[in-house]
Amino acid sequence: MLVAIALLAFEWIGSGVPHQIRAYANDFVAPVLRVLEQPIRAVQAGLERIAGVSDIYLENETLRDENDRLRQWREAAMQLSRENERLRGMLKVPGREVPPAATTRVIGVGGGAFERSVLIGAGSSDDVKRGSPVVDETGVVGRVIQVGRWTSRVLLLTDINSRVPVRLERTGDLAIAEGQNESLLRLRFLPQGVQVKVGDRLLTSGHGGAFPPDLPVARVVDVVDDFILLEPLGLLGKLDYVRVMAYQPVPEEVIQPEAPAGGEE
Amino acid sequence: MNAARRPAMASFGFAGFVPLIACFVMVIFMMLPLGTGAANIAMPNLALISVFYWLSSRPILMPYGACAVLGFLLDLWLDVPMGLNMILLLLTRLFVLNQLKHYKGRSRLVHWVIFAVLSLGLYLLSWLLISLVYGTMLPPEPLALQWVITVFSYAPVGFVLGRLRRAAM
Repeated sequence: MLVAIALLAFEWIGSGVPHQIRAYANDFVAPVLRVLEQPIRAVQAGLERIAGVSDIYLENETLRDENDRLRQWREAAMQLSRENERLRGMLKVPGREVPPAATTRVIGVGGGAFERSVLIGAGSSDDVKRGSPVVDETGVVGRVIQVGRWTSRVLLLTDINSRVPVRLERTGDLAIAEGQNESLLRLRFLPQGVQVKVGDRLLTSGHGGAFPPDLPVARVVDVVDDFILLEPLGLLGKLDYVRVMAYQPVPEEVIQPEAPAGGEE
Repeated sequence: MNAARRPAMASFGFAGFVPLIACFVMVIFMMLPLGTGAANIAMPNLALISVFYWLSSRPILMPYGACAVLGFLLDLWLDVPMGLNMILLLLTRLFVLNQLKHYKGRSRLVHWVIFAVLSLGLYLLSWLLISLVYGTMLPPEPLALQWVITVFSYAPVGFVLGRLRRAAM
């Protein structure tokens, strides 16, 4: 009991077990988790398949329509991309594309009721680095906080320790999306007088250098005076495959001149 | 002399290690991504259920050392402050050893109620400790939700552990 109290006291004064020890401890349990998750994934996939059979015809029709629309958008996007590339070349502006370091599966969860984190099956052997942003197909999921050899822990956006500098897509105003250990995030430090509407999207601003700019983060779902709640765009409730971005956090003083104060973009 | 030094678990052969192995498996299960994200809250505290169950039925096979090791692994793997689950599981053993004489042999419902009361106290303590470590009062709702889920999970998990106990011992 004394040992337990001593360990907790060390955590309190901020000199707890180093991140690296926790990260390597995850490497030990990862093979067991990988084996145990197989039957669970199979059952989940089976249940989803059974649930999806009834409306497969309707879904097919919807997908055909969507496919037609997406083809048109693809043409437009390719044209814009070419034009953008040409203009960037003319103005000597460096590209913003961030390549993925690894695409991997979520193999475990952690934190219980206290922390929102997941364990992913990629580590330093896959070039994953501490602080790397993690995204899924719909938006930002979180960032890497521990890197083991074959596994890493990702702090989710919803964790109480998570703060992401964001930009309101509609107006360009800057703010912070803060985790609350609940399913929704809270928008804070938005300049006075900015009109926020339900449905507004928030993108990473790139400030602080932790995340590259313009990644989709969340959508406004509730506005009561200064209390603005956001729903993460990443599918945090059913994460499967995630992408770790090979993004090196940049010191703020290097970014500041590129990202002027909100409302000008 | 050597036999006297051997832990009680070893004198039962493999069966003596079944409680510890079962608890270890429960710890691993708590890390599985069953739904992910929401599962962090919705996952019952299987380790606590398992430790309480074995302490109530075979306390000699779940010594303080085993509780401490399980708590240590939980803290390490769940990435919560070190010592938190160690304290909770050690307190569980302390509570059961002191109170078992009052409820040993009573119905499963009594065991369930006692577990609910004990776990409520432990969850309150963990909320206070974690808030102290983080330096801010954490919202109690996620913890309350996990307590409710853990209490409701006691019956089915206890049933499975009971089958395992009958099969192995």
